[in-house]
Amino acid sequence: MESVSLLEVRDLHYRYPDGHAALRGLTFTLAPGERVALIGPNGAGKSTLLLHLNGLLPDRPALNPAVTVDGLPLVEANLPEVRRRVGLLFQDPDDQLFCPTVWEDVAFGPQQLGMREPQLSRVVSDALAQVGLGGFGERLPHHLSRGEKRRVCLAGLLACDARLLVLDEPTSDLDPRGRRELMMLLTHLPVAQLIATHDLEFVVETCPRAIVLDAGRIVADGPSRALLDDEPLMLAHGLERPHILRHRHPH
Amino acid sequence: MLRDRLLSPYQHGSSAVHRLPAGTKLLAAVACAVLIVLLPRSAWWAHAAVAGGLVAVAAVSRADLRGMLLRLLLLEPFVLGIALLALLRPGGVPLFLSMLTKSTLCLATMVLLTATTRFSDLLAVLWRIRVPALLVTTLALMHRYLFVLVEEMERMQRARRSRTFVAGRSSAWRNSAQVAGQLFVRTSERAERVYLAMCARGWKA
Amino acid sequence: MHVPDGFLDARTLVATAAAASVGFGLALRAVRRHLPPRRVPLIGLTAAFVFAAQMLNFPVAAGTSGHLIGAALATVLLGPAAAVVAMTAVLLLQSLMFADGGITALGANVLNLAVIAPLVAHGVYRVVRSAAGVGPQGTLLAAGVAAWCSTLAAALACAAQLAASGVVAWGTVLAAMGGVHMVIGLGEAVITMLIVAVVMRARPELVMPAEPARATARGRTLAYGAALAIGSMVLVAPFASPWPDGLEHVAERFGFASRALAGQPAPLADYTVAPLLDASPWLATVIAGGIGALVAFAVAWFVARALAAPGRAGARH
Repeated sequence: MESVSLLEVRDLHYRYPDGHAALRGLTFTLAPGERVALIGPNGAGKSTLLLHLNGLLPDRPALNPAVTVDGLPLVEANLPEVRRRVGLLFQDPDDQLFCPTVWEDVAFGPQQLGMREPQLSRVVSDALAQVGLGGFGERLPHHLSRGEKRRVCLAGLLACDARLLVLDEPTSDLDPRGRRELMMLLTHLPVAQLIATHDLEFVVETCPRAIVLDAGRIVADGPSRALLDDEPLMLAHGLERPHILRHRHPH
Repeated sequence: MLRDRLLSPYQHGSSAVHRLPAGTKLLAAVACAVLIVLLPRSAWWAHAAVAGGLVAVAAVSRADLRGMLLRLLLLEPFVLGIALLALLRPGGVPLFLSMLTKSTLCLATMVLLTATTRFSDLLAVLWRIRVPALLVTTLALMHRYLFVLVEEMERMQRARRSRTFVAGRSSAWRNSAQVAGQLFVRTSERAERVYLAMCARGWKA
Repeated sequence: MHVPDGFLDARTLVATAAAASVGFGLALRAVRRHLPPRRVPLIGLTAAFVFAAQMLNFPVAAGTSGHLIGAALATVLLGPAAAVVAMTAVLLLQSLMFADGGITALGANVLNLAVIAPLVAHGVYRVVRSAAGVGPQGTLLAAGVAAWCSTLAAALACAAQLAASGVVAWGTVLAAMGGVHMVIGLGEAVITMLIVAVVMRARPELVMPAEPARATARGRTLAYGAALAIGSMVLVAPFASPWPDGLEHVAERFGFASRALAGQPAPLADYTVAPLLDASPWLATVIAGGIGALVAFAVAWFVARALAAPGRAGARH
């Protein structure tokens, strides 16, 4: 029987090495192709949760893992395959763009998976074209703008044929044009996406569903417009009602 | 910015020299340097011939000669110091001239190599000739993050200087040391994140 | 102290390249065996850090500035084997891309700054630290003395290579480079201590890792390192003795003698210092080195006490 959900998180707990509890029993699922926003105040545990989705946390995989990706529980043996299917986009693209050229960086993932020429070049140029950076292969990372760096990182994930993209604050520190380009790109990608963000306008425009995280717990999970329009809820968890909704609702 | 010039010797171009394979250019440059060093001191004609060859290659590559000449002139005081000490020896003048000539010619060779060859291509050559993987990875990461760290350093220096109201040697030393220390802390934290990013894309040490 | 092309003769180039390869190979093996994969990217990023930190200005006098060399700092922060790899990468990049240090002289430069300097730094660091304690003060003091010793060791090795190539007289170059780098070493010591102090305050675990279990592995590295350093010196020394250099020595003596008879004043430094040093250059250097070491130790002691004073230990930025 085919599993319906792409990502299943069941009662996920995590404590930092110093004992501080970061995640206190999270439960949610994601369907293939779904685009979900993860919002909440700073320190809520968003980044920590994201690191759990491709097995970077916990340091040692649990015997009975709380996370299942595409039917694969997150045990040691499944880690390589899970990391192929779940593409994690880090907040600082400089941390992720570690190869000497754009081409080499996009090719890094497929190479680790054993891909060789001529398929490798095809996959790399396809991925670059998909993010609108065809012809950027020979460019050096430090000559790119922030938005371009983000898109190269995205291409690197697409080149591995990821089924779920997990993005950590993708529109932070982008100029309006970069932000708009990224939004267009994400809405046109058929891949499922979980996007941690502070950019509430972005959430309204691109994500049908939102999960609100505060102090390591999920406090709300539902249609984003309804949640974001709920002013008391927003204010209670360090957020606010986005302007775009204030203009639309004439009360 | 001069710093940028110093940090990126590569000049993009499409001359015949640029189009040669990186491995060929690296081999030729190293062979040329070895030849220059092994030439007998008295063979002035041979040194002149090599110089002529380098000028010809420079002309074909259409690289900016002014920048290259500037870099040739950036001799360390150490070099001059040793060379001057050599002058003091009996028979020191030919020795002095030979040292200066050889070092300048070899410098010109390397400047030409790096002006016409991308560093990433040189790295690929090192990888192919089976230089230990750890060294190549280290070189690649070092080159990639050099610019990132230098920019971070400049930002921190600017911030410090904006809050330094007393000019003086001790405050300059303290500021530079603070910048370096903080830079290392940030660097090690970044190294941790790079490690996670590499693992996330399937890297196995 | 990067040696350019054309300064060293062929046999010195080959000997130093061989010694450097051995040293690097041993370090590589140690890293592969003992360094957890988590720390591998740190080597490359620390190399970038050393490169960047070398650009910082530490003004000395009248517009001149001192700069960090970084071998001892890398050793304190990474451990000796990883520091060897990082410094080798730095020197490779400097030589290849920025023509700082010759390409044929790469063996000598790697031997001096990427093998001898870190290994001497590590040895001194461990010895001083076991004597002065592993707390903040002891660590700082050890780092400072290690920095001075490693700078001097690299300079003396470089001087030996220049003398063995017949570029400069043994006595002259050992006195000149040794003397100058005893002073430069003080600067390196203070800078290294200042930086280590900053790192210690922010993230003490980066400087004082608790790894007693690997003591034997490090001990072995230390033994290899010491053997390598001594071996390199021994390797270079025989080339210095008879043959062309020896003949030139004799000619110099006669030359000086004849000039003295003619009443001509000879260059001051060469004349007064040379006879003693030419007679036994090693002895003179050892004496000078001993005095310099005591001075360096005293300076490091005072700076360490100032930096590790309890009042400032809790200060954060």
